[in-house]
Amino acid sequence: MLRFAHLIEPLDAAPSERPFITHWIDEDEQSTVTFGEFRQRARAEATALQQHGLAAGDRVIILMPQSIGAITTFVATMMLGAVPAFLAYPNFKIEPEKYRSGLSGVSRNLSAKFVVIDADFPEDMLGYISLSGGTKLIRAGTATESPQPATPARPAAHAEDLAFIQHSAGTTGLQKGVGLTHVAVLRQIGHLSTALKIDPDRDKIYSWLPLYHDMGLIACFMLPIVCQVPVVMQSPIEWVMQPESTLQIIDHHRCTLAWMPNFAFQFIPRRTPQSRWADYDLSSLRLMINCSEPVRASSMMEFQRAFSVRPEVLQTSYAMAENVFAVTQSDIDRGPTTFHAEARHFRSQHRILAVAKSDKGSITFTSSGRLLPNQQVRIVSTSGAPVPEGYVGEIAIQSDCLFQGYFNRPDLTSQAVRHGWYHTGDLGFLHGGELYVVGRKKDLLIVGGENIYPQDIEEVVATHPAVHDGRVIATGIYNSDLGTEDIVVVAEVDDPLSLSNSIDLEIEIRSRVVGSLGFAVRKIFFKPPKWIVKSTAGKVARSTTREKLLKEHPELAAGI
Amino acid sequence: MTTEKQQMIGYIAQLLRKPGLEIDENTPLVSSGLIDSMALVDLLLKLEELTRKRIPAAKVQPKDMDTVAKMFATADRIGKPRKQL
Repeated sequence: MLRFAHLIEPLDAAPSERPFITHWIDEDEQSTVTFGEFRQRARAEATALQQHGLAAGDRVIILMPQSIGAITTFVATMMLGAVPAFLAYPNFKIEPEKYRSGLSGVSRNLSAKFVVIDADFPEDMLGYISLSGGTKLIRAGTATESPQPATPARPAAHAEDLAFIQHSAGTTGLQKGVGLTHVAVLRQIGHLSTALKIDPDRDKIYSWLPLYHDMGLIACFMLPIVCQVPVVMQSPIEWVMQPESTLQIIDHHRCTLAWMPNFAFQFIPRRTPQSRWADYDLSSLRLMINCSEPVRASSMMEFQRAFSVRPEVLQTSYAMAENVFAVTQSDIDRGPTTFHAEARHFRSQHRILAVAKSDKGSITFTSSGRLLPNQQVRIVSTSGAPVPEGYVGEIAIQSDCLFQGYFNRPDLTSQAVRHGWYHTGDLGFLHGGELYVVGRKKDLLIVGGENIYPQDIEEVVATHPAVHDGRVIATGIYNSDLGTEDIVVVAEVDDPLSLSNSIDLEIEIRSRVVGSLGFAVRKIFFKPPKWIVKSTAGKVARSTTREKLLKEHPELAAGI
Repeated sequence: MTTEKQQMIGYIAQLLRKPGLEIDENTPLVSSGLIDSMALVDLLLKLEELTRKRIPAAKVQPKDMDTVAKMFATADRIGKPRKQL
């Protein structure tokens, strides 16, 4: 892929007649643009944006629903050497408080020249876009009215220039903007497309993934541009409503490649009536890659069995925005390897001892594959020193496509990148040349693909006067129906009257959590004083208390 | 109140499983934190079933789902007649 100097070159060279993006709305409504049509539209929009005063190096925030129009604006911006960033468009599932604080924080940090929104952008959210320092709001479509699509006077893009900013996942509006250069993106796509044996004459990608995350942006938008591969996409929110549409689309469009987070592998079969499982023909699928959440073999197997997918289709990858995208990829001819570890040593010492699969109390890990070319991984302790082989530690990476730093945040960059190694905050181990990711450092909860810190929730719950100060824990309990974690809170209350009146108390606390953090908790348990276990240092012992809770409420572990 | 709204209230009560909690068509559900975002998906699907309409999810905002009354108003505003299967 290094034959291209920047990301617009492959678009210029793409065959005009080849379909590029098909946007699936439902079975009756779809639209497709070819590479040629897309190029024309993007050039026309670039010309208009240039007339508005957009120049190389300027940032542009794109706040539009997932659509061909949003992608056109992104590419038009890049054509001028300006730096676009997609932000999440508000939808009914986004909690308004969380969305507002995220929007105001992220837009302030980017200090963009333009914020491009669509005609339907909700008025009540407009006030949260940071428009300080001369940022201008533009309605999409107004920029495309240029009568004559022309080639904009494009500054020569350099490989080392910033191409765009993608945001890493994060809670409470602290999403970090990851600045990526043209060359880093091109190298990543070069490594990935070789590992996946991408063939533009044969492959077609399916995606429901949001464009503001790496899987949707890199694998399902940048890779199609650079490799000139067609992609069929739908809006993530439409997908959540109708996960069965994944099956309809792959079948109808004969898609060959898709990426999905772990929970989707169970969500789709569980939300599709079993009587219709056999109606779909997924034989066109070459690779379906489980990426972005810890991989569970059982989830992939559920999908494979429900829809009679060939086992070799199911693959894994470990990826993050800071590395453009993938660090590892399972060997597509063999599939991911599984490893059975002795549970007691793993839980108590983070030590990995191989045992037979049949051993009682063994834990099964599924590998995320081997390192892509020019990627290095180290497993390190909290001090940053490499841990001995056979132990779990934090995953640190170095590569030829690593990010330049968090945009405008040198403080965060120096925390994350130390001596040239990016410290991912993920825990894992290496075995037989493959990487196994076991979870998140810092007790992170992963709920529906979102990272949530228990400390944030505990702090808010503890502000209620009925709750004993500091005696709260928040934890995640795996919900096997949803394939993700539920947030469960335990709080001690001093007054026995509060215990008997717990409905009112619960409502008050729930609204505090939503008001401050923007997400809701699944269950709140009120307990008498001294119920929560404390460590010897006098701090609440989250994991021991969690075990006590599960013992007293076995229905939680059963997912009821 | 229509039968459909009553059915929706019954469905929400069943989902929340909180004896003693009274819900009517104007009870805030999203802004009060009673309903989490995963459950909202179920509510929108139920709304499609009760109104016999397809509701384009990408056009629905949280405020549109805050109360039972607002849910039905949203369905009237943006719902498309459902294709018979």
